[in-house]
Amino acid sequence: MLRELKNKIFILYLLASAVLILLPLAHILYSVFAYGLPVLIDRGLEFLTSARPGGIFPALFGTFLMVSLSSLFGVPLAILAGIFIAEYPRSVISNLARPLMLIMLEFPTILVGLFVMIILVIPMGTFSALAGSIALAIVMLPYVTTYTEQAMRSVPENFKEGAYALGLKRARVVFSVTMKMAKRGILTGMLIGIAKVAGETAPLIFTAGVTWRAAGGINEPTGAIPIWIYYLIQQPYANYHEIAWGAALILMLIFLAIFLPVRLMMVRT
Amino acid sequence: MNAIEIERLWVKYGNVEVLKGIDLEIPKNICFAIMGPSGCGKSTLLKAMNRLLELNPDTKISGDIRLFGESVFRMDVTKVRREIGMVFQLPNPFPHMSIYDNVAFAAKCNKIAKNKKELDELVIWALKKAALYDGVKDRLKSKASQLSGGEMQRLCIARALALKPKVLLMDEPTANLDPTAAGKIEELIHELKREYTIIIVTHSPTQAARVADLVAFIYLGKVVEVGDVNEVFERPKHELTQKYVTGRIG
Repeated sequence: MLRELKNKIFILYLLASAVLILLPLAHILYSVFAYGLPVLIDRGLEFLTSARPGGIFPALFGTFLMVSLSSLFGVPLAILAGIFIAEYPRSVISNLARPLMLIMLEFPTILVGLFVMIILVIPMGTFSALAGSIALAIVMLPYVTTYTEQAMRSVPENFKEGAYALGLKRARVVFSVTMKMAKRGILTGMLIGIAKVAGETAPLIFTAGVTWRAAGGINEPTGAIPIWIYYLIQQPYANYHEIAWGAALILMLIFLAIFLPVRLMMVRT
Repeated sequence: MNAIEIERLWVKYGNVEVLKGIDLEIPKNICFAIMGPSGCGKSTLLKAMNRLLELNPDTKISGDIRLFGESVFRMDVTKVRREIGMVFQLPNPFPHMSIYDNVAFAAKCNKIAKNKKELDELVIWALKKAALYDGVKDRLKSKASQLSGGEMQRLCIARALALKPKVLLMDEPTANLDPTAAGKIEELIHELKREYTIIIVTHSPTQAARVADLVAFIYLGKVVEVGDVNEVFERPKHELTQKYVTGRIG
């Protein structure tokens, strides 16, 4: 009798914990939709395309520009680094890189922004989309590298041996066999890295600048959705807050559009 | 002329001696079986021949292995592996490639075929040699992962044959197959040994007796006995061999 009661209490406790951790997430999703959706419906497509106050086009453009550029800089580099660490696990560089990547995953991203400010923003004399992209690329690196390394290492040894036994050179084995077989894991890492930087705010404050205008080129300051939300929400006007909620919904949709395929892909494996 | 000559071959993994001074001569166009209990070093010996052991940086190798008189350690490693093909215990066709590409891929990389037409012919030839063509000719473009275990293993044989090897190493090629599929591989070995030197590792004395012309019995990293298959099974010279073939060790 007592045992049964204890068992029930335990299960109830587990259930309560599970519900408790879901609550904040549910609340975030709910409030972003509840406050953001009316703004989108009310303002229509113009909310996304207008560069005048009331639209978020400059920020949206800045986010797409910097996420694209940072992926262009970061993804190939990170994939190659991940391959190197997986292929030469005992080299000095790999032994240094592996813990460093784990530290970078948890690194305060504002420090990345500060670093890029010192090496790029100050010498250039201006905030720029380029500096923002480089900061985002640095934030993205450890995700893509770590996922790539793990995906490469998860390819069973007997396939690699089989490829070497066919007289293939190392580069060929790596790029035509191991990497192809690790494709799904690498892609997952890529999308997680991109989703992560799409929502980053801190590294952009000192690099891209906080501006309202759309960048004319990559050497000019640019807005970005997270930064724009950060700016608007601090202003004492209700209509600014409305725009911030609308922008928050757009940011969440962008994030989900990148992240959901990743989850689906993981479920299928 | 011998296809393979092994002279005083010692192999160490870290500080563990796996092979302790192996000497073997393997004549061409026969099936040579290496048998012995698990862990005796037979797979290591096989992987030493095509220098696959060198993938493991902890391995130390001394002694010599010659392929038709030429030391494999002085040849380009990719050439060694082209000329000494290998089939593994676990069938390992590349799952992301089609049946066709599995055979064509390495042949293309190693420039065995000059153009698409030659490559097509080579793939069909290799699949026929491996007794797989009739079963797969209508689905050459489907993924290799859709084949059965026995078909996958024959695809691996075709893939190795497409490189026109002189020697074919087989590391317990039927260990993971059902008896029917295993029987087909053994039939294939009988066919192939007319043109290739086949060196097969097996932990089953009965399989060695069925497929081989010559056998070597290896125990704890040393060659205990080498000889004609009938001799070794009917009149073993060494007591250990006697115990092994009668199933008392292994």
